[in-house]
Amino acid sequence: MSSRRSSFRRKEKPAFDRFKDHCRHFTAFMFSNVGIILLVTFYTIGGAFIFQAIEIFEYERLKLEKPHRFIARNFSGEALTRIWDLTSENISFFDPRAYRRRVNDVLLEYQRAIVKKQLKGPDVEQWSFSGAFLYSLTVITTIGYGNITPQSEWGKLVTILYAIIGMPLFLLYLSNIGDVLAKSFKWIYSKVCLCRICPGVAKRRIIRERRKMRQLARALQLHDMENARGSSSYSSSNSTSTSNSSSSGDYSRSSKHSSSLVDVPFSGSDSDIEREIRGSTDEITVPVTVCIFVMVGYILWGALLFGRWEDWNYLDGSYFCLISLSSIGFGDLVPGDRVITADRDKVEVSFILCAVYLLLGMAVIAMCFNLMQVNIKNNIPCKKVTTYSFTGASRPQYSSCKARIQGLFSMQKLLGRSLSYKRILLFTVVGD
Amino acid sequence: MPNKFQRKVSPMSGGGVARASSVSSSPSNQPRKRVKRCCRNFVTFMCTQVGVGALIVIYAICGAFAFMNIERQFIDGTADQVLEMRQNCSQQLWSITEKHNLIDRRKWSEDTNAVLRDYQAQIADVIKQGYVGRSPEQIWSFPAALMFCLSVITMIGYGNMVPRTPWGKGFTVIYASIGIPLYILYFLNMGRVLARSFKFLYRSMHDCTQEHPHLDRLDALEGGVSLPRKKIIVPSTACLWVIFFYVLTGTVMFANWERWSFLNSFYFCMTSLCKIGFGDFVPGASLTTAADVNAATQKLQEDISADPNELAQLQSVAADQHSKLAINFVYMLLGMGLVAMCRNLMREEVRVKLREMREDAKLCMEDTRLRFVGCCGSPRDGYDSDYY
Repeated sequence: MSSRRSSFRRKEKPAFDRFKDHCRHFTAFMFSNVGIILLVTFYTIGGAFIFQAIEIFEYERLKLEKPHRFIARNFSGEALTRIWDLTSENISFFDPRAYRRRVNDVLLEYQRAIVKKQLKGPDVEQWSFSGAFLYSLTVITTIGYGNITPQSEWGKLVTILYAIIGMPLFLLYLSNIGDVLAKSFKWIYSKVCLCRICPGVAKRRIIRERRKMRQLARALQLHDMENARGSSSYSSSNSTSTSNSSSSGDYSRSSKHSSSLVDVPFSGSDSDIEREIRGSTDEITVPVTVCIFVMVGYILWGALLFGRWEDWNYLDGSYFCLISLSSIGFGDLVPGDRVITADRDKVEVSFILCAVYLLLGMAVIAMCFNLMQVNIKNNIPCKKVTTYSFTGASRPQYSSCKARIQGLFSMQKLLGRSLSYKRILLFTVVGD
Repeated sequence: MPNKFQRKVSPMSGGGVARASSVSSSPSNQPRKRVKRCCRNFVTFMCTQVGVGALIVIYAICGAFAFMNIERQFIDGTADQVLEMRQNCSQQLWSITEKHNLIDRRKWSEDTNAVLRDYQAQIADVIKQGYVGRSPEQIWSFPAALMFCLSVITMIGYGNMVPRTPWGKGFTVIYASIGIPLYILYFLNMGRVLARSFKFLYRSMHDCTQEHPHLDRLDALEGGVSLPRKKIIVPSTACLWVIFFYVLTGTVMFANWERWSFLNSFYFCMTSLCKIGFGDFVPGASLTTAADVNAATQKLQEDISADPNELAQLQSVAADQHSKLAINFVYMLLGMGLVAMCRNLMREEVRVKLREMREDAKLCMEDTRLRFVGCCGSPRDGYDSDYY
């Protein structure tokens, strides 16, 4: 801000200085945005190497120290001897049905043992580099699929430390990238949807909107007048001092609101419109519906992408995307899980795809929250005014309406608080 | 002033003119008014906090019932598959026994082993398709469904139980997109309330532990500046201690119940409170207990010689599961609230610190600038005079 002001003050700045300024801005931009992306990426890659090393090292060490724990219990051998015993016991009376029932019991126990072992978790082989990369990513984004978990004690400890450092870093990334994305999205929105790319269309559009606003404001004023007349007559008939003072106070307040509302559209002139068209895109508010569309579109796009890649159907794909992006992360569907036996290269690529999708998706959601917050802050007072002046000639109706307005007011306060997007992000990711 | 007062009254009176007039008719009645205001504040307080809490609980319960209804309709094809496989296997074993008939043990063993290996591979395949050895009715008991709903709306997502029907998945998506904002509301509310009460507690303790209030007053008198009541900010270390003790309590509790090691228990608490939720440790959800109970019951019915104590033990474990799930529910909700509280308190401190730091930096910059000007000013002046 200050730099801009100073540049305004001294217009005769030499070209070299301006170039230097540009360079400086560019460097700052690079550092703030690209730098944080690099930081997050390197942190994740480093984490991947660390976890991989720890898990494999600990596995080897434990294998050397306590070999008895790692010799797989020979379930099939046990089952075999038991069946043999059964067979040799029952060979005297040769009843196939009884025999099969007994064998079935043995098999059931054997099956249960296998299921338990299989569900208990995969082995150290899962800690390939790409698996470890996805693991550290799910730790810092707090998704936590849980398809791969550290088995060794050091792995668990390092995970805790890694999460404590990594999550603030990721938050920084989100707030930074969310800001940048929000700015660029606003720019695109202003150029494309509000037709600011060609000034003539935009001008006509703005004039039309202003006319509408003016009509609305006039209607508001009329309603206000009637409202005031009605309430004053009501209070005089009731002749209680409190209600009188309150209604007059309310009336003055509401009229003040509406007058301010009327003032704005009347002052519209050509130069004003020009300025609005040329002006910076910061003042534009993107409607909430557009934000929601962007989020839904991103999820559907992910569903399409993963559906093509992982052979999931669309429901599974969108379910996976929503569960991942909201950082719930059940881990029942994980990319690269199904093809893990089929093709090694495809697994690597799908891990990378998933990582990029997640990093970008969280930033997009941050952007949407950022835009929605601005929108809600701007919108709710307006709604308040309209409800205020359109309602009620009679007292009870009026008071109920007032309660509703106060509800709105508190909601706005709450939403304003909750939708401050950094907090939301902080919240979404860490529990803030 | 009357305007402001009126604004406070109107939502509560809600159209009752009589009460408003009664308030206005006795303006001199100060204590009564204060008591009334206190009461009103209390009621609104209860409404907002308890209302949101109740909403969360009701939402979770409704979701639990819905998920139970949806997921219990899931026809588990894998269970039939496993049964068929087992029948097949025993049939094969019988045919082997018939063929070799105990005469050639080596040959028999070889063949049986081959069959068993085959069976094992088949089972592993079925498990990859999602067989967990339990029927949907056993998995989706009410407490478990409640825990599932909570893990969805708090975004922990343990993943030890997941919806498997398409309807269940779709409903999860909708449920999450409504439930998460609701939870955020609860979280912010809870954080504010807890922060306020903790601050109150801290302030009263602070006042108590300050043993020399008169000394302070003397200092103030000597200084000649009457210090107004200094705003006490809860230091962030206190918040961290609170969180640390909460985690420690959880660690000891879960370690005792679940017979986890302390490290595992600590790991579970941390990953849950950070919302990572890997789901490799979940309290009250050991893998096959329900199936074990059923098996023991069957065994007891078939075989008189089996130990009834074992069954009782298993049943008690299974019953414990539900209470453990409920307690985990409470622990998680409260823990999230505590995290929110710490966030609220620490934000305040960080803000103050940042302001101080900014001022420091500004002063420092100014200082260096002055010094710089002082050092470099004279040669530049000389240069300038030379130039002209």
